[in-house]
Amino acid sequence: MPDDEETLDLSGVPCPANSARALIALEGMPDGRVLLVVVDDGEPVRNVPPSLEEEGHAVVRREKAGGRWRLWVRKGG
Amino acid sequence: MPLRDAGIYLDNAATTRPDPAALSAARSFEDAHHGNPSSLHGPGVAAAREVERARQAVADALGAAPDEIVFTSGGTESNNLALKGAAPPRGGHVVVSAIEHPSVLRTADALRRRGVKVTVVGVDSRGLVSPAAVAAALTPRTALVSVMHANNETGTIEPAAEIGRLCRARGVLFHTDACQSFTREALDAGSGAFDLISVNAHKIHGPKGLGALYVRRGTRLTPLLDGGGHERGLRSGTLNAPGIVGFGAAVRLARDSSPYETQRLRDRLLVLLRRGIPGLRLNGPEGARLCGHLSVTLPRGDAKETARALSARGVFVSTGSACSAGKSEPSHVLLALGLTPAQAGRTLRLTLSRMTTRAEVDAAAAALVELAGGVHA
Repeated sequence: MPDDEETLDLSGVPCPANSARALIALEGMPDGRVLLVVVDDGEPVRNVPPSLEEEGHAVVRREKAGGRWRLWVRKGG
Repeated sequence: MPLRDAGIYLDNAATTRPDPAALSAARSFEDAHHGNPSSLHGPGVAAAREVERARQAVADALGAAPDEIVFTSGGTESNNLALKGAAPPRGGHVVVSAIEHPSVLRTADALRRRGVKVTVVGVDSRGLVSPAAVAAALTPRTALVSVMHANNETGTIEPAAEIGRLCRARGVLFHTDACQSFTREALDAGSGAFDLISVNAHKIHGPKGLGALYVRRGTRLTPLLDGGGHERGLRSGTLNAPGIVGFGAAVRLARDSSPYETQRLRDRLLVLLRRGIPGLRLNGPEGARLCGHLSVTLPRGDAKETARALSARGVFVSTGSACSAGKSEPSHVLLALGLTPAQAGRTLRLTLSRMTTRAEVDAAAAALVELAGGVHA
């Protein structure tokens, strides 16, 4: 993954505001760019990836760290 | 299609004409999205996306983080949530200023009935709250201080950040009602001087029935409403998503506009009135005043009659008195500045907005000069 990736920390942000904020952040990025999104374990990690994928973005990697998940999301066209 | 209100509207401190672009944003949203912004399915996420965009706009205007913004039904609810939500238990102490909006003063009365001690700090003849007076009012039991950012009648801009910093140094929560000043006068939540800030939409050409409360991260607040736990548990109830979208649009439009033209026209109005009405008194400071506010006391006559006569000529202003339950009493703000009840009864409030034109100012001044018995400007 590139070193200059942008990070959006959505820990503590409930559903679906977390998905909404991730989608807004992706709007401002060029296609193909990767956004690192941090979400809570549980409902957020179950809800956010499908919401982003429905909009054409791809979750290319996920990693659990403590009670949170790091999701690498590639902006879709 | 109903007819649009015509005439010269100089009561923008009461409410503003909604910006067509803000209304259009709200209507377009409502046409396209009906999902509940708390629902997890596609329509819910689509609605939440626009709500979060508006939340970001409000947060940006305050120098806050989106998580620190709670949407409410308006300034009155925001003030109630701030004071009741942060109120200490029986025996605790709260400080407010004498010129607060009734939604703060009456809420302070409600706290008093719960056994909370309330100190009301006065103002000087310009309507300014002294930070030293607030500091002197603090006791070891003080939990909360509420001083407005700018006054709704005189437009006086208060030293709110300074008061907030001294409260912070004493470990006391600080709330400011910024409904009049929001987007017009700099207010930086990120400075750490504020714990709670009330704002609303309809004073900035947004829809009515929408407000927000800035709640600094880590501030403990008891909600007014029990329910589904919306807005991080602080304001249960399905969000008014179309209104919130209109609010967000209004914030962006307001931040793109400059207050200087409004201020220039307000100053022109004052010059014309002073020239035409000898003995006219300006209430509030000459300088530290909101860009659109003008509170003037006529040398003679009755403000209500003058306002009615102006209204008949298509010029809409308000008086220095507040009407409640059919009984008219002198404005508590003007009395706090040291005006007599008779002077308060001769006081008019004229408030401009970014939609006010020079021609309107000139026509309004001419009408008032004629009615007030002065010479033509």
